[in-house]
Amino acid sequence: MSSQARQERFALIVEQVVDPCRRYLARRTDVATADDVLSDVLLVCWRRIDEVPDDAVPWAYGVARRALANADRAGRRQRRVAAKLAVLQPEGRATTDADPQAVVEGADVRQALAALPERDAELLRLWAWEDLAPAQIALVLGISVNATSLRLRRAKDKLADEITLRARQTGRGAGHEQSTTPPGRSRP
Amino acid sequence: MTSPHDQPDQPDQPRDALRERIRAADPAATVAPVSSEDRAALVARTTTDDRTIESRHDGTQARSRLTWLVAAAAVVLIAAGIGVAVLDRGGPDASSSSSSAATGTTGSAADPDASDGAAEPASTTELTLVGGAPLGRCAPPSSAVVAQQDVAVDATVTAISEGQVTLAPTRFYTGQATDQVVVQEVSDDLRALLDAVDFVDGQRYLVSATDGEVTLCGLSDAWSPALARVYEEAFPS
Repeated sequence: MSSQARQERFALIVEQVVDPCRRYLARRTDVATADDVLSDVLLVCWRRIDEVPDDAVPWAYGVARRALANADRAGRRQRRVAAKLAVLQPEGRATTDADPQAVVEGADVRQALAALPERDAELLRLWAWEDLAPAQIALVLGISVNATSLRLRRAKDKLADEITLRARQTGRGAGHEQSTTPPGRSRP
Repeated sequence: MTSPHDQPDQPDQPRDALRERIRAADPAATVAPVSSEDRAALVARTTTDDRTIESRHDGTQARSRLTWLVAAAAVVLIAAGIGVAVLDRGGPDASSSSSSAATGTTGSAADPDASDGAAEPASTTELTLVGGAPLGRCAPPSSAVVAQQDVAVDATVTAISEGQVTLAPTRFYTGQATDQVVVQEVSDDLRALLDAVDFVDGQRYLVSATDGEVTLCGLSDAWSPALARVYEEAFPS
């Protein structure tokens, strides 16, 4: 690949992956670490441009996942919470007009997710937030598609149970139980 | 909110409601897309930063040893600064924040017992580096990133011998100044990272580091007007 072609392909890859990766990272770490890891992801994309598949986003998620794990291991996440980077800070849109009930419910769901084993929670995040199909999740996590489907099914059940349990404990969200709890499932 | 990449919904009827509930709890819902200008800047920055690295991958095998030795030397700069800070505070345990990168932490500029090898000037610190960040822990050289470093120094390699590299700092942008820095031995774990920097005896460098880790991939590199500007912006004099 000529230098020019390489540059052009990289620009296309960046266009494809940068926003999904920023959201991926924003869901999992602080702003400073997210920017840091995003730089790493792009650098890896650039260096390994011949390996980047046409559907680059799941591949980039896999890179981001590993880079983020490395960053966490190094403890940078905690140390950089207060740090600021000038470029690419997420620009929050106004949230003051958000539906208060939706805000509470969102927090409940996130807490329920956080209560799950990390492996299950990550599957569900990739499924719902990154909107990936099982085959793509498998690529990100480096596991088989069959295993992904199986684990995903179990993770959904666990989350539904967790949400139901929390709704009962708090007396909130009873109306959602039917929609999220698979028929015949209940939790004491 | 879903991402632009997001696939068409996968049929999953009984649990689509669950998926929607999780989506509604997406903490990234307010993350705005990157502007085309920022995207172009990211492309340029990534490819520019890596150009030096790429060139160094070619035909520099003979210098790989120097490469990691000198990069490790920068790690010493951190520990040297921290060591001095520890002494200033009189608390040996205060160096724990850098312990992940530095073992056998020795003394500092003010510690006469610091040198356990060859005779060293008072402000020399010797360390052993263990571990290190894996490939990919590279940050582009922006002043915002440089400003976060514990140590940022303009220094020239004055000597390289087996297992040891010496740098003579000419300016500390930040961090405790020492007369010189000597490093002995580093872990193989650093090899991947150190590919990013090509140090040569007698050459001038801008080196930054934080929490025991040298920041490479463009942040620590041979002195250039452009990189010097970044450092200057990060630590205006």
